[in-house]
This record gives sequence, structure tokens and C-alpha cells, in this order.
Amino acid sequence: MFYHNLKLAFRTLLRNKIYSLVNIGGLALGIAVFLLLLEYVSFERSFNNFQENAGNTYRLLNEDQKNSFWPEIEPGWAPRAKEKFPAIIDYCRLESDVAKGILQRNTGNAPAFRETSIGFAEGNFFEFFSFPLLKGNAASFHAPNTIFLSAGSAEKYFGNEEPVGQQLILSNQFGKTIYQVGGVFEIPANSDIRYDQVLSLETLRNPANLNGNDWAALENTGSQYLQTYLRLTPGTTPELLETKLTALRNEVGKENDGVRFRLQSFQHLHLAASLNDSFPTAGNIKYLYILSLISVLILLIAWFNYVNLSTAQALKKANEVGVRKIAGASRLSLIGQFLVEAMLVNLLGFVIALLLVYFLQPLFNSVMALKLSPADILSSSAWMFGSGLLLAGSLLTGTYTAFALSGFNPIVTLRNRLTRSGSGSRIRKTLVVTQFAISIALIIGTVLIYQQLRYLQEKNIGVTKAQMLIVRGPEAGKDSSFNQRQVAFLQMLSRYPFVEDYAGSGTYPGGWYNFVTSGFTQPGSLKGDEFKSYAFAIIDERYLPAFEIPLVAGRNFRPEETGIPWDKNNKVLLNETAVAALGFKNPDDVLHTPVQWDERALQVIGVVKDYNHANLKKTIMPMIFYPQNSSAYCCIRLASGSVSQHIAGVEKLYKQYFPGNPFEYFFLDENYQRQYAAEKQYGQLFTAASVWAVIIACLGLFGLTTFTVTSRTKEIGIRKVLGASVLDITQLLSRDFLLLVGIAALIAFPVAWWAMQRWLQDFPYRINISWWVFALAAVIASVIALITIGFQSVRAALSNPVKNLRTE
Amino acid sequence: MITLEHISKWVTTAGLRTFLLKDINLTIKEGEFVSIMGPSGSGKSTLLNVIGMLDDADEGKYDFMGNQVHSMKEKQRSQLYKQYIGFVFQAYHLIDELTVYENIETPLLYQDTKSTERKAMVGDMLDRFQMVGKKDLFPTQLSGGQQQLVGIARALISSPKLILADEPTGNLNSRQGEEIMELFKKLNEEDGVTIIQVTHSEKNAAYGNRIIHLLDGRIEHPR
Repeated sequence: MFYHNLKLAFRTLLRNKIYSLVNIGGLALGIAVFLLLLEYVSFERSFNNFQENAGNTYRLLNEDQKNSFWPEIEPGWAPRAKEKFPAIIDYCRLESDVAKGILQRNTGNAPAFRETSIGFAEGNFFEFFSFPLLKGNAASFHAPNTIFLSAGSAEKYFGNEEPVGQQLILSNQFGKTIYQVGGVFEIPANSDIRYDQVLSLETLRNPANLNGNDWAALENTGSQYLQTYLRLTPGTTPELLETKLTALRNEVGKENDGVRFRLQSFQHLHLAASLNDSFPTAGNIKYLYILSLISVLILLIAWFNYVNLSTAQALKKANEVGVRKIAGASRLSLIGQFLVEAMLVNLLGFVIALLLVYFLQPLFNSVMALKLSPADILSSSAWMFGSGLLLAGSLLTGTYTAFALSGFNPIVTLRNRLTRSGSGSRIRKTLVVTQFAISIALIIGTVLIYQQLRYLQEKNIGVTKAQMLIVRGPEAGKDSSFNQRQVAFLQMLSRYPFVEDYAGSGTYPGGWYNFVTSGFTQPGSLKGDEFKSYAFAIIDERYLPAFEIPLVAGRNFRPEETGIPWDKNNKVLLNETAVAALGFKNPDDVLHTPVQWDERALQVIGVVKDYNHANLKKTIMPMIFYPQNSSAYCCIRLASGSVSQHIAGVEKLYKQYFPGNPFEYFFLDENYQRQYAAEKQYGQLFTAASVWAVIIACLGLFGLTTFTVTSRTKEIGIRKVLGASVLDITQLLSRDFLLLVGIAALIAFPVAWWAMQRWLQDFPYRINISWWVFALAAVIASVIALITIGFQSVRAALSNPVKNLRTE
Repeated sequence: MITLEHISKWVTTAGLRTFLLKDINLTIKEGEFVSIMGPSGSGKSTLLNVIGMLDDADEGKYDFMGNQVHSMKEKQRSQLYKQYIGFVFQAYHLIDELTVYENIETPLLYQDTKSTERKAMVGDMLDRFQMVGKKDLFPTQLSGGQQQLVGIARALISSPKLILADEPTGNLNSRQGEEIMELFKKLNEEDGVTIIQVTHSEKNAAYGNRIIHLLDGRIEHPR
């Protein structure tokens, strides 16, 4: 019987080619998207699962009274805490920011590279965490001046030579330090802790290696720059330890600033435990939920299609069902037959989906900027959910259609009393409405995301972005002649005719601040004002003019003021937000009032008009501009003309004055664009999802109209004989479907509005949602639906009525 | 074989009863070849459906080979007709996706007949109807007459005692119609199969040995 049913199912599919193509194709499209997104979801969920001791490992966090969290901790706490609390088995401190610099082999004139994924880590790094070591001994990392390299990095510096035992020179803010290579490691793609090179933290115990950066000393509790991971004895209550740790913090000399220690489970380092979990994470669980939702919605559309098309076939099947029942078939045996057919369709859909995944993988990977493959589905428990859902869905839809089709009464069907598409038509309409509601909501989402993206890209941030070239400053070779070379470099640069303006600075618009600190007051300050955060930007006197940032009060720095040593200077500029944060109404007032920065008295000489120093995803912070001749960045405004020639000119000078440093540059506007990569990715994903949803929904609509038209052939024939025009007939057939799309739009509007409103709330600078976006989405959906329906309707309307009536 | 006593069937529209069958009393003995005639809407097909147990009457008693059909449940009734009755339709009602062979085989599949036995039975039937050469064709590849032959073969495959035919020649030309009627006559005379057919044609009705005239749901008795 099974064989018989299978054979029959194949034949049915082959006989109704369009129907089968639409049905299987729709399922395949839906399943393919589902599988691709499942890869991503699974990959995200697999993060850090190779860490063997994740279960009792915690990351230490700071939480302030405003409930904001940050993971940077002073280096001195972990050793003190371990000594005092037996619940702490071990700790590992690491950082990934302060050691950035230029790395070079310690031989003659080996090539130098700027390394940004470099940092200090505790001596037990390779014992505390489970990173596989390819070469070397984990214990050797306890020694100072030791560097371990990633496999790729080892090859970059040493090629095929044996790296272990070789030396590398690192030039950064800690001066020029020689490190010995102790091993080569590998970091899995699903690790949040990532390094190209790790330096032994023990190195910083030697004051000579600090190069005057006393804030980095390993015992100090004054400056927050390290992440601290703790391994606790099993059964420890983290909340209890948090209280003890905070008490320790308050006891050891810290004035009570309201900051407390929190412990974040390592298992939730990448994805939060829930949407309410506010600890900072590397991944984004909200994003993951949205993607999961989209993938399930698209799968749902595909299944609805399947149910719709299959039950619409009822008309064709009814006769067969009648005959079989009279021939003695029980309902159960008919259900079995249709179930086999359903499973075959689902199976074929799945196989084609696998092919689609194979072909779409590169495109998907480029949008997601990841290297994913179907194997990633198996990397976490998400595959169980995925395959369970697929199986349940196919069984459910298959069983439903089987039940719906097998229920006909033979007398009714055999006497052709079944005229319209039958009893399931209300369900069918509901499904079409749902499909289009999902599609319309996705279209609205897509349009709004792109509007917001465009807004971010085009909003005036108060800074000249065009033609601004930013060159990273030198790190290597900072000897006694360095300052002179820096001055000479800038002088030579200013002589180029294509250099319209230039500046040296510690930061640049679109970059982060030099640092963020508190402790600013004025005589009229209220209590608690000293905890307000202010962002520091180190600039020279050319910075404001080079970026065409205006002053609203006072004056800019003078050249001689930028040369005053850090400790001796007392003149600063503020932005308007900082003036307001200090409690002044009028920018001019601040010019005549002395300002305190902890114990230092500062004089505000001017007020800078507010501009968005960070990207537009952040609000404008109170900013303090501090005069220094910084060589961190050289900002150059180029004249129009051949950009590549201009850059070549700058590079020649740079190499001449700063040998041993790689020449690295970027354009300010491109850098801003890069910061919106996540929004762009969102946009691309939503576009793909909505196009996909609309295609599948239209496939279903196409199939449905085909059947509606077939079932109404006689009616159409009669109407034409009675004098209906082609337009009349097309209208007759399209009206019902357009009504459904209209209802779908009414459902989609509030849902999309609510969801997008929530999404936009994360942006301090955002578009207003305008009504025409909704109208546009509805129009797009209607037009596409109309084209889909129209083709069939017109064909039916054009057909010869005599022929149709005769065949009845 | 069949005894109908006071069989009535009606539909109620807006409180008014319209009788499809009214007080039908009819006895058909085994081996009879009965033709039911009457104008359109006189209740011929309804009567046939009631006899075939596809439809039930609203009133009256129906005895089929000693079984009280009117008091049986749906399931028992379908058991009964599966065993004893074969249906032949005006529109053939073959399954388009199945070959001639498979169409004929279908009832056997639902009776759980063994595969070897099925083969033999379908083979015999094909021989008998001289359709061996056409066994792998699909219904659409056959003429109307041939399709009806397949329809009859399918009705006969489970060796029914009774064949119910609803205008079996209605869609056929006169030559094809004659062939089918000859076949019915032969089945009736040689195999002793009871046949009840609905027909419009006096000529076809004459093949049977008894004619029942229906008018407005009543049997018209010859005056």
C-alpha cells in the first residue's frame, strides 16, 4: 500500500507541474531561509562552549548608581579578593586595549606591523581558559616579557621558521619592549576572548616596563583597564560574593561613589540569559530573537502556502476521494495516501532547500560578515529545535491537508455539487491574510531601517567630513629626536599645495574619546555633580579650524599653549553640553568662572559649538578639549584632485620622518559609514527577508488564483456569453484577493509601527515614522499581488467561453 | 434481494417539504435486470443512491438480502455495499492518475486482497474485457466507451451481487452504448448479476426484463 501511495504521489506531482513547482518551490525557499538563519543562531549560541570551566567562571563588572555596567576593573582587586575570600579558586586578568602598537622582529630591518588585537593577560591564561596550544608550554606564560602568538600571527612574523624562542619588539605607550615568543595558540571562531598576540601581564610588574604609566601598575586600585575573570568553588552564591567584594572595594580607601561589583556568569558572556538581563554581552540576544522570529515567520508563510495550495486542490481531489470511498476506501486509508503525498512534497522541498543553502551560503556569509556553513547548525542545541520544528511543521500541515481532503462525501462530489473552492475557504483566506500581513510588516521594517540608516549617514554632525584623511601616528622610534621630526613632518606637509588644512590630535570625530573622567565642579555646583562624566579630547590649535568646528564663545587655543606640558597647563575648551552639565546657562558665564578638576583649577577660554564626536548612535557627551601636541592622529583636509597621488605624497613624507612605522590611513566619512555596519546589515537582512516573504506569498497567491480560475471557468464562460468584458472578469477575480491584502495591511500596520518604534528608540537621533511608509508597503504588496493575480485572471477572461462551457 | 417499504425522502426549504421520493414500495429479486426511467428530477438517481446505500431515506424500511439497512450504522452499511454492490457512473469517475490496470485494482487494495491474488483477478478481468493491451494507459488516453468498460470492470472486480448503473451510456455514442448494454445483458444472463440501471432511453431500457417509471418521486404503476 505504501509503495502504491508513493507511486501515486509521484504521478500526481508530475501531472500537475505548475502546482508542484509552486508548492515544492515555496517550501524550499522557506526552509532554505530557515536553515541559513538557523546556522547563524546556532553559531551565536555556541559561543564559548569550548571553555571547559565556563560553569563556575564569572566576569567581574562594575555597576554604578545609574545601572550602567562596565567590565574594566582596577588590577589590584583580584589578588586582594583571592587572598580574602576562599570561594575564589583562581582569577585571570586580561585587557585588549592598552598594549596596541607596532610589532617587529628583533632582527635588522624586518617588516613592522601595527597590531590592534594585542593585549596583556594573566600568566595562567592558557590554564584558566581552554585555548588549544599548538606550540610551547602553557606554564612559560607566567614569565615576564613573554608573548604567545596566534597561528596566523606566527606565520606572519616567522613564516616557516620555528617561532618559539624568537624575539619581537613592541613599540607602544609603554615604550619599546622586547618579548620572547613562548608559544603558538589557536582561538576558535566562537570565542569572545580573541587575540592575535597575548603578552604576559607579569611584564608590567617591572617598573621599567611601565615607562611612567604608573596607572597600569598591577597592585593599583586607581585606574580601570583590565577585565577580571574569577573561578569560584562550586556551590558559591554569586550574589553573596558580590556584596563581599563591594564591601572590600569600599573598605580599601575608595570614597563611596556608589559603584558596586557584580558577577556575570561566563555562560552568559556572549548572549544574555534573557531580554531582561542587562549585563553587557558581546552578542546581542535581541538581534538573535528578531532573526529567529523572521526565520520562523518565513517558514510559516511557506507552510501556509502548502496548506492553501493543497486544500485548494480539493476540487480536483474530491472526485477521486468519492470514487475511492465507493470503491471501499476508509477515511484512514485515504489520510494515509494524502499523508504520503504530503511527506513527499516536504521531503523534496527540503532537498531543494539544501541545494539553495549551498548556493546562497556565500551571499549570506558576506551579508553577515561571517564564515558559516551548514555544519554550524550542529554546533549548539539549536539544531534539535530546528529539526523538531521542521518535522512537526511538515507533519502538522500534511495531516491537516490529509484530513481536509479525505473528508468529502462521495455523493456530493460525484454529482459535482462542489462548485466553489469548498469548505476550507475561510481558513484559506485567513492564511493568505496572515502571509500578506507578515510580508507587509517586513516591507515596512525594511523601508524604515533604510530611512534610519540614510538619516544616520546624511545627518549634519557639525564637522566637515569630506576629503578628511586621517593618518595614524607613529609608535616606533620615539627617541629624543622624535618631537623635532614631528614638527618637521607637519611643516613639510603644510607645503604641499593639496593640503588645505591639517591638525595633530589625540582623537578624531567618529573615533572614541581619549578618556572619560569625572570630578569637574564650579563654585555653584550641587552635591553629586562631581560624579558626572566628561569626555576628554586632546587637540592642537589647528584641530577646530581643520574640521571647521565653530566656537560660540571665547577663543581657540594659541600655538604656544599646546606646547605646555600636561601637568602645567590650566586652559581648556568646553563644548556647549559640558557648559550645561556644569550648570551654566550662558556660554559666556563659564569664561569668567574658575572650574575645578579634582584639585586642579582650570580656566575655560572658549566654548565649542556642539558636534557629534562619537557616531550618531550616541548622544553628545559633555566634552573637555585639552591642548597638547599629540602625534596619535594626523588629520589632513585634502584639496580635490587625484586622491591616490595626494596619499602617495603624504606617505613619502611619513616614511621619511618616521621610518619603521607602517603608513596607515582612512577617510573620515568612510569611517563614519563603517560604524553603521550593523544597521546596514539589518537593512540587508530585512530586505532579503521581505523579498523572500513576498515571493513565497505570491507563489501561494499564484497557485490559489490558478485554482480559483479553474473552479470558476464555467462561471466565467457564462458571464462572457452574457456580455462581460475582459476587464469585468479580471475585476471579478481580483477583487476578493485585493480585499484580503487590504485586511492584511490593517493587521500589519499597528504591529510594524509598534516594533519599529521600539527599534528606533535605541537611537538618540532618529527619524519620525511617517504614514506614507505604511501606504507604500500596502501599495507594493497590492501591486505585486495584482500582477500575480492579473496574469491568471486575464488569461481566464480571454479564453473562449464556448470551449469552456462545452467541457463542463 | 431488495425490499423497499414506504420509502420517502425529502428536503425542507423554508418550512416546506419537497419530496424527492414518496412512499416507494419496490421488490427486486436476485437475477433481475431492472431499468428505472422517468423525466429529469423524478428521483431516479436518488432512488439509486438509496438502494446503493450512499444516501439514506428519511422514512421507510429497506431490506437488503435480509439486512435491515434503515436501522444500520454508516459503518455497517459501507461494509455491506462494499461486499455486494458495484457502481457504474455516467461520467465513469476513473482516477486520472491511475492506469487502467490500477483503476481496476483499486477496490481490491481496500479489501486487503493479497498481491498475487490481485494480479490474477485483474488479469482475468482485463482478459474478459479484451483490454490487456491497454492496461498501462491512463484514462485520458481512452475513448469514452473504453473508459466506461474500465468503469464496469472496476465495479465487477470484487464480484458484486448487484450492479447499480446511473445512466451508464449517457456520455457515449449509440454504438458504444449498445456495446455496454450488451455487456450488461450478458453479465445478467450468464453470471447472474443483478443489475439496476437508470436510463433515459427506451431502447436501453428494453435490455432489461423490468422497467420502473418514476414521476415526482413516485412509482407510476402501469395502468
